[in-house]
Amino acid sequence: MLPVVSPVVFAERVTKWYGPRRAVADVSFAIAPGEIVGLLGPNGSGKSTIFRMLTGYLVPTSGRIEVAGHDVVEDSLGVRRAISYVPEDAPLYDHMRVGEFLNFMAGIKGLHGPKTRAAVEEVAERLDLARVMKLTTGKLSRGFRQRVSIAQALLGDPKVLVLDEPTSGLDPHQVIAVRDLIQSLAGRHTVLLASHILPEIEKIASRVMILLDGVLLTSDALKDAAQDLTLRLSAEATEDAVRGATKAVAGVREVTADPDNAGRFLVKAERRPPLAADLVSALVAAQIPVRELTELRPDLERVFLDLTRQPKAAA
Amino acid sequence: MRSFAVLLRKEATALFSSPIAYVLMTVFLLIMGYSFTLTLFLSHQPSMVHIFFQMFVLFMLTAPLITMRLFAEERKLKTLEVLLTAPVSEVAIVLAKFLAAMSLIVVMLVLSGAYAAALAWFGDPDFGPIYSGYFGLLLFGAALVGTGLLASALTANQVIAALISLSVFLLLWIIDNFGWLLPSPADTLVVNLSLSVHFRPFAVGSIYLSDVGFFLSVTLLTLLLTVRALARR
Repeated sequence: MLPVVSPVVFAERVTKWYGPRRAVADVSFAIAPGEIVGLLGPNGSGKSTIFRMLTGYLVPTSGRIEVAGHDVVEDSLGVRRAISYVPEDAPLYDHMRVGEFLNFMAGIKGLHGPKTRAAVEEVAERLDLARVMKLTTGKLSRGFRQRVSIAQALLGDPKVLVLDEPTSGLDPHQVIAVRDLIQSLAGRHTVLLASHILPEIEKIASRVMILLDGVLLTSDALKDAAQDLTLRLSAEATEDAVRGATKAVAGVREVTADPDNAGRFLVKAERRPPLAADLVSALVAAQIPVRELTELRPDLERVFLDLTRQPKAAA
Repeated sequence: MRSFAVLLRKEATALFSSPIAYVLMTVFLLIMGYSFTLTLFLSHQPSMVHIFFQMFVLFMLTAPLITMRLFAEERKLKTLEVLLTAPVSEVAIVLAKFLAAMSLIVVMLVLSGAYAAALAWFGDPDFGPIYSGYFGLLLFGAALVGTGLLASALTANQVIAALISLSVFLLLWIIDNFGWLLPSPADTLVVNLSLSVHFRPFAVGSIYLSDVGFFLSVTLLTLLLTVRALARR
């Protein structure tokens, strides 16, 4: 659901040009405190550029971005105090030991003395880094690099966490661990994460924004997916018979045969409570035996494919 | 201020834990030791003037090697994203890198103090030109480090960063040779861009405000431009 009151991240008509190439076009969105928002899009769609503008690394060509009430251009330091960033590929200082790196990051985030030690110990425990604290970061596996990068981002208890492809290159166990960690951050931090892997983002995020060629196609794909109801019907009849029987039912938009399963149909309809009962009644009245009628969960993949196939129409 | 100290410590540790610093210091001391011994035995004069001119040339060759990685490496390894999205100002980041690189210049100058100490031990040198020479080299080193830092902030390729700063230094070293041939007032303008024209008086014992101002201006201007180069994103 789109937040309406005091968003912690607010972007208004943001555009970014790299020379003659437009990387982000007229993007607007708002994120409420405590949300976990996924930014989904193919590689090169502008996700990293948006994140770099949010974190103050890049300056928007036009438009306005505010993070925790600070403008990214006018008060970049204020923004950087409120936000932490895990860039793609988890860049680290390879000559530093993990403990040394975390202490350094804590220091430049304004933590000093006993506060540094406490904060570093806390994130090291949270990310299970105890056994690598004395290793140089250059010798770490991909999974540990990612965890160290997330650990540095958690230092200083930032209001907003921005994670660019946090699970890329990780093995399935590590993916689950990172996913659990991100979910555990909900409420305490506002989290924005980018991914080009749809099932991944669907599992973590409470809201999904879809980006294609720098254009924000939707700022709540799950809501879009949930707006239309898809039911799977299993019945002993032809496609025409089912279509004929259900066309009079209010709210039914489309009936198609399931290409993968004979005798099964997909019914797309408006979401309204007595729909299933009406459908069954209509089918029974037409003497079509109904074996199964199931509501399919909101299909993000379908929304994503629909939007990215026809970006202009959808935008 | 504490964040700045953290940044400075990180830069100094990175510099002094890399082999480059020690290779540079070794090569510097070897070449300077050879020059010092040779000129002393040939001239029998307790003077550092020749040594200062040698150091002037060696600094131009070594400064790009000290500064080339400072930003270019961070840009290439993408750690610049981590640094520039942390709550520290660009000015603090640039100053920390500048002071860390200057600390190596200072260490080289201090080590070369062994030659002055040897002259004082065995002879009776005039310390005026020695003090002014060191002062000049410090200012000169700051201008070189500032320029090198700017070159490093402009590219992700360390070799290109080194080549940019080296080219600028070599051009500004010899620019007065051809500058005199230009019509007035271009000749004065070009000649006054020369590094050697501004350094020569320091080496022989004269300190002019114009020369101090030149090196300080180059340092401040390049540091300012480096901050701008980082902010222009």
